[in-house]
Amino acid sequence: MQFTSESVEALVEQFTKLPTIGRKTAQRLVNFVLKMPREEVEEIARALIAVKDQVQRCSTCFVVADRDPCPICSSEKRDRSTICVVEESSDLLAIERTGEYRGLYHVLGGVISPLDGVGPDDLRIRELARRVDPSFADSEAANVSAADAREAAESGEAGPPEVGDEPHAGDGAPAPDDADGADGAGEDEEAEVEEVILAVNPNVEGDTTAYYISQLLEPMGVPVTRIARGLPIGGDLEYADEATLSRALEGRGAV
Amino acid sequence: MILRTLRLRSFRAHDETTVELRPKVNLLHGANGVGKTNVLEAIHYVCLTKSFTATNDRYVVRQDAPYFEVEGLFEGVRSTETRVRLVYVPSEGKKVFVNGAPLDRLTEIVGMLPVVVFSPEDHALTAEGPSERRRFLNNILSQARPVYMDDLMKYRRARKQRNEVLRQYKKRPSPPPDALIEPWTEKIIMIGSRVIHRRNQFLHTFREYLVDAYERIDAVAEEPTIEYDTIDAFEESTTESEIQKAFRSEVERKREHEHQRGTTLVGPQRDELVFRLDDLEVRRYGSQGQHRTFAMALKLAQYLYLTDRLDTQPILLLDDAFGKLDARRTDVFLELLMSDVIGQSLITATRRSPFAKTIDFDRPTHGSMHVTRVDGAARVTPEQNRGDDASTEDASGTATTVPESPVQEQQT
Repeated sequence: MQFTSESVEALVEQFTKLPTIGRKTAQRLVNFVLKMPREEVEEIARALIAVKDQVQRCSTCFVVADRDPCPICSSEKRDRSTICVVEESSDLLAIERTGEYRGLYHVLGGVISPLDGVGPDDLRIRELARRVDPSFADSEAANVSAADAREAAESGEAGPPEVGDEPHAGDGAPAPDDADGADGAGEDEEAEVEEVILAVNPNVEGDTTAYYISQLLEPMGVPVTRIARGLPIGGDLEYADEATLSRALEGRGAV
Repeated sequence: MILRTLRLRSFRAHDETTVELRPKVNLLHGANGVGKTNVLEAIHYVCLTKSFTATNDRYVVRQDAPYFEVEGLFEGVRSTETRVRLVYVPSEGKKVFVNGAPLDRLTEIVGMLPVVVFSPEDHALTAEGPSERRRFLNNILSQARPVYMDDLMKYRRARKQRNEVLRQYKKRPSPPPDALIEPWTEKIIMIGSRVIHRRNQFLHTFREYLVDAYERIDAVAEEPTIEYDTIDAFEESTTESEIQKAFRSEVERKREHEHQRGTTLVGPQRDELVFRLDDLEVRRYGSQGQHRTFAMALKLAQYLYLTDRLDTQPILLLDDAFGKLDARRTDVFLELLMSDVIGQSLITATRRSPFAKTIDFDRPTHGSMHVTRVDGAARVTPEQNRGDDASTEDASGTATTVPESPVQEQQT
């Protein structure tokens, strides 16, 4: 079904690049755009460009933010001894909405999934290791064995901890040219990390990523915990599916 | 558990069919290819969200129809009445509604409406490759323990991920580094051991059911056994952590081999079941008759096991199961269908007469239906009970089929 107008067809094609948008939805969107006043269309176009130009990632926790360090990393009120590890920035927002967590975050940028071509090195896992233990050897990549990485980390522990933690941009993150801001964040991080909370999704890839991180951080002597899984609040036992219920049983706690 | 009413829309040969069923034996008879098996298949869809034959959902939709729909009204499930509806739209996939409410996950229905099928394809169970036997094992365990299926799906996913890592290093001189492969190895060991543990425990229990089932259909004093061939030999009391240990050392042992082949070579995906009658291995040395009897015994044992485990009698679907049975076994089996051992059953057959001798279709607990094709669509006609069944068959048959049958039967 080709459109007569080439520019209409071009826009349809562009829209279909977005997730969950198929051809039909794209056509509907284009029809809507055609009816919009020019100013509104310009606003959308500007907003799209602005998102790419102005938004950056925090060089410490890698959350999407307008400034670096992000408001959470630069806040005086946050507890610097806990780091909550999430997959994406949107997961961070979800936890922030609870208002219950006062620590810092670390955004991985995904989970380990060879089928999608994502290995440990494609995520910001080394950056996390360095936040927990600044002496974590930078050269350790996933193409050397985890055992070697552990040894290196252990031997490095004896050395003097660097206070000015140099943030390293992960893949796809903008390089931290704003050295002052980065240093400011580094100074605030004098407090030692006492707990790393893994808040990854409870699926096969999330489990494996959690396992990988816990193995990597184990020699650093920092407790690594994982958020509980089980029944939703306000849910009815009777209506819970068996898999969820059995996992909830496994992870039961004292009353 | 009883299926009261079944409704099919745009399902294979059926345009719009409603079938009222009786609590015990239900016979669907008619010529080949008119749509008898479709009715059993539809029940399988409602109970387990898929067909019992390997088929693509897309081809189940009647030609030129936009979607298919199956609805069953069950009695004695969790409450008095349960209405289960399954809709499949090719572009959107399947959706299941229980009493009008959609299920979040299709698999939630599995185990709620237990069903056991006897079909000509059961032959593959004893005669063909190990995947058929694993499928049988997974079918029973999924219906008996919902968590099993969840584990199985997670295991498949983790194995796929691990295979991808191995595949990338297949052509390289050294195996994948620990940092890349070890988390996945750990994952398949954890979930894989859980799957093996459940299979092991189940098979130890299942043996008794199989012996019982075999005795019921065959008077010969041979003893059927199942040997579970997995990563190691395990006792009934073997714990999950012992299985993990065996799994771990097996992965270690096969490390170089896995690197060469570029795929996972250890785990429940390689499990095999060895069936024996006394000392004779059925797959290699069994006669045609022994194959048939063993496969039937497996299915009957499945029925008996699920009955105990779920505290309800599954629906028994017999798709052309009597075609190759001798007269004595047919009688034994029909007696079983009428006894308390089996609950509701549906039989497909080309002719009514062999069943009418043993089964009294005059009783309200049994029913017989004639399936024909009318204007290219299947039609299921319930039959009034009459004393003389030979004439019934002709009478009901000619009334609806004569104008169509020459053309229709050539088609099929």
